[in-house]
Order: sequence, then C-alpha cells, then structure tokens
Amino acid sequence: MKTINRRSFLKGSLLSAAALSFPVQRSESAVSAAGRAGPGPGIIDTNVHLGAWPTRRLKYGETKALVAKLRKHRVEQAWAGSFEGLLHKNMLEVNERLVAECRTNGDGMLVPFGSVNPVWPDWEEDLRLCHEVHKMRGIRLHPTYQNYTLERPDVPRLLRMAAERGLIVQITTFMEDPRVHHSNLLAPEMNLDPLANLLMGIPNAKVQLLHAFRSGSGPNNRQGLIESTNVSFDISNLESNGGVHRMIEGRPWEGRGRPVPLPVERILFGSHALYMPFENALLKLFESPITTAQFDAIARNNARRLLGRT
Amino acid sequence: MNFDQFAYPLEAYGLPSREEMLDYRIWDDHYHGIDQHEEVMRYVTRLGIERVISLDIGGREYREKAHREILEKQRDRVLGIIRIDPSRPEESVAKMEQWIRNGPCIGIKYAGGNEGVTCSHPNNDPIISLARELKAVVYIHAWIKVGGNPRRLGGDNGKSESSPMDVAILAKRFPDVPMTCGHSGGDWEIGARVVRPYENVNFEFAGSDPHSGQVDYAIKILGEDRIVWGGHGPSRCLANELSKILDANLTKEQRMKVFGRNLRRVCAPIMRQKGYSVKI
Repeated sequence: MKTINRRSFLKGSLLSAAALSFPVQRSESAVSAAGRAGPGPGIIDTNVHLGAWPTRRLKYGETKALVAKLRKHRVEQAWAGSFEGLLHKNMLEVNERLVAECRTNGDGMLVPFGSVNPVWPDWEEDLRLCHEVHKMRGIRLHPTYQNYTLERPDVPRLLRMAAERGLIVQITTFMEDPRVHHSNLLAPEMNLDPLANLLMGIPNAKVQLLHAFRSGSGPNNRQGLIESTNVSFDISNLESNGGVHRMIEGRPWEGRGRPVPLPVERILFGSHALYMPFENALLKLFESPITTAQFDAIARNNARRLLGRT
Repeated sequence: MNFDQFAYPLEAYGLPSREEMLDYRIWDDHYHGIDQHEEVMRYVTRLGIERVISLDIGGREYREKAHREILEKQRDRVLGIIRIDPSRPEESVAKMEQWIRNGPCIGIKYAGGNEGVTCSHPNNDPIISLARELKAVVYIHAWIKVGGNPRRLGGDNGKSESSPMDVAILAKRFPDVPMTCGHSGGDWEIGARVVRPYENVNFEFAGSDPHSGQVDYAIKILGEDRIVWGGHGPSRCLANELSKILDANLTKEQRMKVFGRNLRRVCAPIMRQKGYSVKI
C-alpha cells in the first residue's frame, strides 16, 4: 500500500474538497490580477480611517497607498472616518479635509463618514453640514477619545436627529488596546450598557458599533444589544478561532454568560485599516467555515442594505 | 459544518492560497488549545498550520494523561513545553526533569511567577542552566502594560509579570541560551529596542492586537532571523496572528523564516536529541 504522509494528506484532502465546493472554478487570471477578478463579491469595508494616527506613522498612511492596498484585496467601497476626529477640536475642518481627501485620492472607493462630537458646542451644525453640504451617508462617533459617555443628554438627541436625516451612526468603542496606549493618553473603556435603552425610543436609528468585540466591553453588553436592538457590528476585533461563525451560532469560546446568536444580517465587514492590517479582517472570513451566502452577506450585502435604508 | 471547504479561494482576495500557506511550513509556538484540542485543531488544519507547540502541558494532574497521549500520538503535529515558576526553582527543576529529560516535552515557559519574582531574578539561574543542558526551548511571557500612578510604561504589569527588560537581563546573563520574548513584549516598538542587543533573544508577536507595520519594524530592528510566529488560539484568531506577517513586505523566503524556519532552528537540537523528526 502506498503511504501518504500528513502533508500530502492535508494538501490533497482540502484541495480536492475545495475544487468541488468553490462555486466558480479558480482561474489563473484570478490569481494574477492580485484579487481584482475571480469568484466572490467585492468587499465593502465599513471601518477605515484616514490621516495620521496620533502616536505612530502608519504604513499605509498615504491615502493612495491605502486605496491601492484595499483594491488588491477587492474592496469596492470603504467607509472612511478621520483620525483627526479623535483629538482635534475643529470638526468643521476635519470633515472638510476628509471629504477633500476622499474625493482627491479615494479613486471612487472612499465614502466619507464625518466626525461629530455631541458634547461640544454647535455640534448640530456639524451634523447638518455632514448631511446637507457634504452629502455624507453617515457619521462616526469617538466617545472614548472625546471623553464622554452614552449617558450624556445630547447623545440621544444626536441619535434621533441622525435617524431623522437617515444617517448611519457608527460608534467606535475602541481604537487601540488600552495596555499599549501612549502613557499620556487615557481613553477609558466604553460602557455600552445605556445604548439599548437609548435606542428603544428611536426605532429607525441605524447604529453600527465598530471594534466592539473586545472583551473589556463585556459579553453582557453584547447580548443585550443583540437581543433588544437592531445594531450592527463590524468584525475588526472579533477574536478567537473561528470567531465569525461561532458568533453567528451563539457559541463563543469564552463561554461567559448566556450564549446569544448574532444574526448574520447584522455583521458587517470592517478592517480598522490602516491601524490594523487589512488581512486580519479578511482572513476571519476564511478561518470560519461559513457558507457563500454568509460570506456575501458579511463582505458586502449587509453594508449595502444598511446604506440602502438611507 | 464543513471545515474542508472555503466559500471562495483565498487567492481570489489577494491572500496566499492554502497551498502556499502549506508551503510556508508554519509552526505555531503559542498554542493554548490543548484542552479543546480536537476542536481547535480544525481551524489550525484549515489554514494550513504545520505544527503547534502547546505551552500548557502538565501542572494539572487530571489533564496530564490526556496531554501525554496527545504528545505521543500526534508528535508530527503537536509539541509541548511546560510552565515553570521562577519563585519555586527547585520544583521547577524537578518538573523539567520529569517532563523534559524523562518526558515528551521540549521546553519551558515563563508565564509569570508568584511573590514578585520575574524571569530576571537570580532564582532562574538553576532553571536556565538546566535548560541549557537539555537544549530546551525557553519561552517568556513578556509585557509592558501602561498604567499605574503616575501612568508609565509597565505601570500596570503584574508584580511577577516579566517585561522585555527582564528578558534582556536574563539574556545578558545567559548569552548562549536561546530564548523567546513573547507577545513582542506587549509594546513592540519599545520591546524590540530593549532586546535588540541580545542576539540570543527571538521576538514573537502572538496574543496581542495586530498593528500594521509592526513586523516590518521588528525586522528592521532585529533582522529576519529573530522573528518567530505564534497563533495563540483559541482565544486569539489565526487571522489576527497571520495578518501580522502577511502585512509585512517580505519575500517568500523571509516569510518562511518568520513563519517556521527560525523556530525550527531553535527546536531542532532538543528534538533530534529526543529522536523527533524535524527538517529545518
């Protein structure tokens, strides 16, 4: 009998299975075009930031380089916020620069999501400008860097006004592991507990949480939000082996609290590029044994639907 | 749930194909899945990881039989190292005799001791001396956690938690013993600079958030021969850990070093001594 070593077995079993299962046969062109062609949908990345990270020069910090990188991995659209929104006070110009950068260097891929800080004066005007002048589809909040909680009275007012305008509201719960912050920066952990109650009175709000799976934000927060709201999540920090399919099935490894499945319709692709490697989020879709329908939904269709409601 | 199928080919999205992943010969120096082994290995196999090193062998009597069985029956896929406690050097040395000299394991891990003893403490000398004699792999959990009052680098470290600074002190004392600074020291920008002068220290990124550019940086500071790879499953996803390397501007040859060859070079002496097959 011919013996098969483990390596040959691994190669053979997976490759033959893959050849049978791929909906479109792999072609050389798909490979040579560095991901531009080939089976599967293009990607809508809902969590990208442009500009300069406050404490480090980032590898794809030039927008053209970032866009080329995203194109290589078949991103067709990226919702872009600005790192300047974290610490700058002049949101008028932060958002103007973001729009100009998307237009000038975005190659038709970048969709600007402006920053609004609801605890600073005249934020309503920032919101109006984002919608009426810049024609944005959504806004991005950075409570942990702008130093407010969801319990501040202007937060529900902002959510309501954004909903009336049909704007998506993205709330970034984390940007960076607090253990590696610059020692002069203190961005506290985000408490998501008030969100479910806030949203009860705003049924048409379209809220997406970015980077919300870090354990510090608590499994109970997520369970409550999954069950009693329609908020969406991005996958940028959905950790653990097979985290995507295990979240869909409601069986995370951590096993704390009551397991609650997260409907696939509420999971959106988000990379947190350019801070994180784009491949991190992309590989999550391959690490999990998800179906083509689930892949398509997360990679593109769920984001399209969220946009389409606007 | 079919772990043998992908929704689409990886290469259609600008990623290495699974066959290329296999060609990299990826060795994972940071496997925490030994107690859910069968389930975790489905992900490991799916993404083409060749071999894993469990750092959780021994220490819990009720699991020891199962651990030994996995290490013996799946030697071509799973290797093991034991945790030692620098605050208990005599117990640690005895454990090394049992599990390394007379057992299946190939090395030790410093997970953080008790009573404020880190890996730089003189207690470690008999432990590292024995590791040198056995040619054992030495892995050190190392972090710099910002915090404290006043806030400072390392101010939130546990009192027995080693930092890259502790690794550097130990490495200077034992320049002929290879050792790995785990977790890139937590803060990789600082950690790489701390261990740079010590050629016997390798650098590993597992168990932390991925940051674009971090491996390019580490190779610039330390060179491509001092980086090793770890998966940290199941608590961290393989996507995270693989992405750190795939993000870097590396040739295939460099990727092969970082993904496995550098680690195999460290493991080979003790593996050969034990009669385990290894091809660097």
